[in-house]
Amino acid sequence: MNNVKLKMKNFAKISALLAVLSVSSFSQEQPPAPSSPRTVKIPAVQEKTLPNNLKVAVVTRKNVPLVTVELLIKSGANLENAREAGLADMTASLLTKGTKTRSATEIAEEMEFLGGSISAGAGWNLSQVVVSVMPDKLDKAMAIMSDVVLNPAFDQKEIDLLKSQTLDNLSFSLKQPGFLASYVASKYSFDEHPAGGTVDSINAITQQQIVGFHGNEYSPGNAVLIFTGDITALKANALAQKFFAGWKDSLATVRGVGLVQNEVSNAVVKRILVVDLPNAGQASVNYTKNLPNINRERVDYYFPASVMNSVLGGGYSSRLNQEIRIKRGLSYGAGSSFAWRMAKSNFSTRTQTKNESAGEVAELVAKEIERLGSGDVPAIELTPRKSVLTGDFGRDLETTGGLAGQVAELYLFNLSLAELNSYMANVNSVTSMQIKNFASANLKGGDIIIVGDSKMFMDDLKKRFPKTNIKVVESDELDISKDDLKK
Amino acid sequence: MKKRVIGIILSLAGTLALFGPPTQVAAQKAPATGVAPLLIRQRILPNGLKIISLQDNSSPTVAVNVWYNVGSKDDPQGRSGFAHMFEHMMFKSTRNMKSEMMDRMTEDVGGFNNASTWDDFTNYYEVVPSNYLETLLWAESDRMVNLNVDEATFKSERDVVKEEFRQRILANPYGRLFGQYIESLSFTTHPYKRPGIGNLDELNAATNTDADEFYKTFYRPDNATLIVVGDFNQAQFDAWVNKYFNRVKKPAGTIPRVTVTEPSRTKEMRYTRTAPNVPFPAVAITYLAPPSKSADIPALRIAETILAGGESSRLYQSLVYEQQIAQQANFSTDVRVDGGLLNFIAIMSEGHTAAEGEKSLLDELKKIQGAPVTAKELEKAKNQLITRAYQEREQNDGKAFAIGQAIIYEGNANAVNSDIKKLQAVTIADVQRVMKKYFTDSNRVVIYYQNEEAKGNNE
Repeated sequence: MNNVKLKMKNFAKISALLAVLSVSSFSQEQPPAPSSPRTVKIPAVQEKTLPNNLKVAVVTRKNVPLVTVELLIKSGANLENAREAGLADMTASLLTKGTKTRSATEIAEEMEFLGGSISAGAGWNLSQVVVSVMPDKLDKAMAIMSDVVLNPAFDQKEIDLLKSQTLDNLSFSLKQPGFLASYVASKYSFDEHPAGGTVDSINAITQQQIVGFHGNEYSPGNAVLIFTGDITALKANALAQKFFAGWKDSLATVRGVGLVQNEVSNAVVKRILVVDLPNAGQASVNYTKNLPNINRERVDYYFPASVMNSVLGGGYSSRLNQEIRIKRGLSYGAGSSFAWRMAKSNFSTRTQTKNESAGEVAELVAKEIERLGSGDVPAIELTPRKSVLTGDFGRDLETTGGLAGQVAELYLFNLSLAELNSYMANVNSVTSMQIKNFASANLKGGDIIIVGDSKMFMDDLKKRFPKTNIKVVESDELDISKDDLKK
Repeated sequence: MKKRVIGIILSLAGTLALFGPPTQVAAQKAPATGVAPLLIRQRILPNGLKIISLQDNSSPTVAVNVWYNVGSKDDPQGRSGFAHMFEHMMFKSTRNMKSEMMDRMTEDVGGFNNASTWDDFTNYYEVVPSNYLETLLWAESDRMVNLNVDEATFKSERDVVKEEFRQRILANPYGRLFGQYIESLSFTTHPYKRPGIGNLDELNAATNTDADEFYKTFYRPDNATLIVVGDFNQAQFDAWVNKYFNRVKKPAGTIPRVTVTEPSRTKEMRYTRTAPNVPFPAVAITYLAPPSKSADIPALRIAETILAGGESSRLYQSLVYEQQIAQQANFSTDVRVDGGLLNFIAIMSEGHTAAEGEKSLLDELKKIQGAPVTAKELEKAKNQLITRAYQEREQNDGKAFAIGQAIIYEGNANAVNSDIKKLQAVTIADVQRVMKKYFTDSNRVVIYYQNEEAKGNNE
């Protein structure tokens, strides 16, 4: 891919700013207008494929003596069944806990002696190993990286320790209203399982399953090795050859993903779920919507959805934060996001408020979902919300880690690397009509999930949503492997 | 999340950021040893405002920071949490700007803004496309003198801060320990004993008049530093600074300073505190630290990295990996101008008690006091700190932050370029010396923190 310089559409931004300022009274001073913008430089990606089918992508960026190396495996929690939830993440986490020739302690010791770091984990559609180190130490760091990917030991002692750590961490997280709300939503709203696992699934995972997941999924044909930072393509390719050429491709089967018809509902809120957490310091109020036919690969959905999210709940001045925090002081912050998936996607809004105001906040969220699907987004609002996305994107490219993440996302979803260059133009081309259409077709008919001290908001909640069925589960009784969510 | 207190809450995460070594200018390679210096320019305006600039045109963005020399330690009497709440008000209306106009000039054009209140300072920062630099300099100069917050806005924003309190302190199982008890039980006299987030009663007591008074007292050019890093032309920048900041008048009168000193501890103190929904007990062992300008700080930083930097560190290896009694074991140097804290902290794992945590943490302390660290441990710690310095300063705002901290903690922006040399000069003997000097039995406070069911108080 070539370097392409994009000019940000700053004229519209200036107009928006001046429009805001023009209401000032005569005694006030006007801020100086911006000068003409400089262009954002999108770096070039150089790609090569090794004989074992491992793709190698390199983005050179030399202003800081740092290199990030990310190995992307295109398999994650999506390949687990609910009974083995957490398998992908546990497999990835165990890579750095010992190889045939290095103990867990030796891996940490060697990498940290280089001043570098190695981390491994899994998400819904991916697993990854990420190394960050100074360029003069990269050769030694890559030796460790390839060893953990190719020769992990999966020692039973390490599996047992990781399990007990994961379970401890889970009991801590499940006492927090915000985490608990997302955890419940995975089953209740999204018909998935939590990628981090449940108490039962973590206990049930075996060494054999872990070895099997690694054997099936960690294969060069299912992987991309991404270098970003202070390194040339020549050097990166030589290192890839040296440390990963011996990795045998086990020809992972291509997994088909079907599209499911989305369910359109007239009611904004279809169901309400309350998880009672006595003595909770706040209530978490979430709105969740399953999007069975929306996915990252569909550029015709992705960009309108992203801009829509920026309007609704992406960033400080988005509508949810305006209504809940800035206008009413009901929360420290409110926002929304999509979890993009290979076949389907999930949408959530999130905020925390004092228990007494949970019902009021739930109503405000529902109102904003409704408004998006029925009204226009005026240009004076739309243009700044696009700038939030393009600005974040440009800044993300300033770090080696951010750059690697952007490149990895394109590979993961089989998108063209040219999307790096067209991202800003794609965002800027989204119209108010597209947003309204997307929201009315996809966002309504979701769930309100409230986790908090229910005695402080139940009566009020019932009054505000008289026609909606409210299901209540005690946090002590919760079991998300059951259809009724109860043990 | 925006507009926040950091202070103690971050220090628990084991951040080593406070004295990060200096970093590179654009397109510079690391020198054979150490880190290339930041080529900063400094000047002081007649009104006392300090100006630090660092030009780097590699990306078309610029970071604009204003650091005020006022922090939570300056909270008025009976108004714990006020400096932080006031920080929120700085995003409200001025004579020339409507409320939230900072967001229009930053977020709306593809940048961002935020601020944080620490024990010793409050920093306001923006990153914007570089063609908005003049606009932001104007805005920062405007809110330095023209803030004008009405009562309704004050009350609404106070509710936001109360929600922030609930989210950080009440909704998090360990929020009370890290955000309240460590400070309130570790200091007896210095205002550091009052947690920066405050408490609901004192937040409720605060008025709009308090805000006016606080603003007049502390928000003035001779109590601030403007730090700008990124894509600009030096002569143009200097001219804009002259235009927008020279006109800010230096008020009469002096700025009140905290002069109270925390007395040395004379004997070990022990406390037990409880809270709802705490899944596992935790223990914090705190020691009073020397002031931020102390020559012992670099050796304490190295010790911090040896004890708690990564999974090969001593505390992780002992408590988490070998004994498996804790899910987190940490040591952090919470450096403050008037002397902060040196904290050992463990959050226990299932079935293990705070007392076990205390014993194992103190065993590790005895080890590092009793025998020299190895040459390899020392070199590893230095390598980790150098890499971390580069990672923190990949972007303009990270460099501006490092410069700001050098000013607050060492009284000198150039310290950003000498700190790394000090870290690299630390010897094995230095580490052992500081560990013996500060970690005495009489300088110890021990806090056990557990679920309130343990005292039979679960409703």
